[in-house]
Amino acid sequence: MIKDMLKLSLPLVVICAVAAIALSKINELTAEPIARAQMRAERDAVEAVLPAFVELRSDTLAVDGARRVYYRGVDGGEVTGSAFRSLSGIGYSGEIEIMVGVGSDGAISGVRILQHAETPGLGANYAAPEVLDAFYKGRPVEGVDWRVKKDGGEIDAVTGATVTGRALVDAIGKGLANFAADAPNLPAPAEAAPQPGADQPEPASSAPAQAEMTNAEIPAQPVPETEEAAR
Amino acid sequence: MSIMQNFSKGLWKENPIFRLLLGLCPTLAVTTSVNNGLGMGLATTFVLLCSNVMISLLRNFIPKKTRIPAFIVVIASFVTIVDLVMHGFFYELHKSLGLFIPLIVVNCIILGRAEAFASRNGILASFFDGLGMGLGFTIGLAILGGVREILGSGSLLGYDILGGGFPPVLVMILPPGAFLTLGFLLALMNRLEEKRAIRAGEQYEPPKEMDCGSCVLCKLDENIKG
Repeated sequence: MIKDMLKLSLPLVVICAVAAIALSKINELTAEPIARAQMRAERDAVEAVLPAFVELRSDTLAVDGARRVYYRGVDGGEVTGSAFRSLSGIGYSGEIEIMVGVGSDGAISGVRILQHAETPGLGANYAAPEVLDAFYKGRPVEGVDWRVKKDGGEIDAVTGATVTGRALVDAIGKGLANFAADAPNLPAPAEAAPQPGADQPEPASSAPAQAEMTNAEIPAQPVPETEEAAR
Repeated sequence: MSIMQNFSKGLWKENPIFRLLLGLCPTLAVTTSVNNGLGMGLATTFVLLCSNVMISLLRNFIPKKTRIPAFIVVIASFVTIVDLVMHGFFYELHKSLGLFIPLIVVNCIILGRAEAFASRNGILASFFDGLGMGLGFTIGLAILGGVREILGSGSLLGYDILGGGFPPVLVMILPPGAFLTLGFLLALMNRLEEKRAIRAGEQYEPPKEMDCGSCVLCKLDENIKG
């Protein structure tokens, strides 16, 4: 009886054990390429939405328990633009994650879609850079009603894909509101050469600085202009 | 059956999509473009090839009563490998195929070949069976993806070929387009097969309905036993 059971189950145990060992090995081997590919995709998106820059730095803020990463393009100590992720859950199919860039001139310098599951041929048409540039690039950050025209706002949407357009505008509006609230708390951009500055606590070479914002009081609500757009 | 026959039967006579009507879930879902169809087909071919060889290798080791879980573990392992490797090295393709890669596990072509062929045949025969079936599946997906991409987006492999002279028929890249295209392709295949049979002087048998009694898999099974 027991012998029969062993006869049946032992081969299965052996197969599972071998499979588990092999998979853990492969997982180990591919972990680094996967992380690199993800970083490259993120970096590509950041470069696509930011105006020209020499040096890129990223800062992480902890706001209400969530981590917000801000990428900033720096040229000669001046910030040329900031980029950040934003998310909307009101798309046609699943969440839409985007990267938004804001130039130092106070206008949107670019938007790219990082992840979406919208319908091919309809909502997915938004993923093309030309479409995103045509709809969002160059719009001023302040004083724009971030809603699609159908909802009484002033942003156009692709015909037949209003839901996706609404989700994108929602994500942009929310991202801009967060950015407006967080901008004063971002550390000053590192100078090209390290120099003893009173407001420069860390060396210029430290790339992703982890700034835990505990002492500064961060406004939880967005600034008035963009508040209704964030709905 | 010779090695050549093991290989070539998957391409036409027992093509998984057009003859056996197996694996229709990925067939209908991912074929919105040639690229997606090819990517899915090649990923499936790789899994099919590896699982066929592995199961043929283990066919005397796996007890009959626990063979299905054993097959599934083998298949799932190879699918996970494909998923990880694709994620690391073909990031864009992985993004567009997304959910459907893990679903290769339950693609009935693979379990079907493991059960009906690899567990009863030698390694070499199983290898060519897997290769033929996989390529047949890939070609089927690519044709389906091509037709749908041309009609639905007016492009082929991402290049605009209709030049805006013909408005894309959106429905072709939406789910109904998959059924429409597959239906017309099946009709075309049957017509070609009929012509071939008549020319060869054979008795042409129109394909029976896909009910349990006439499902091709069972016939395969009998053929192999007999």
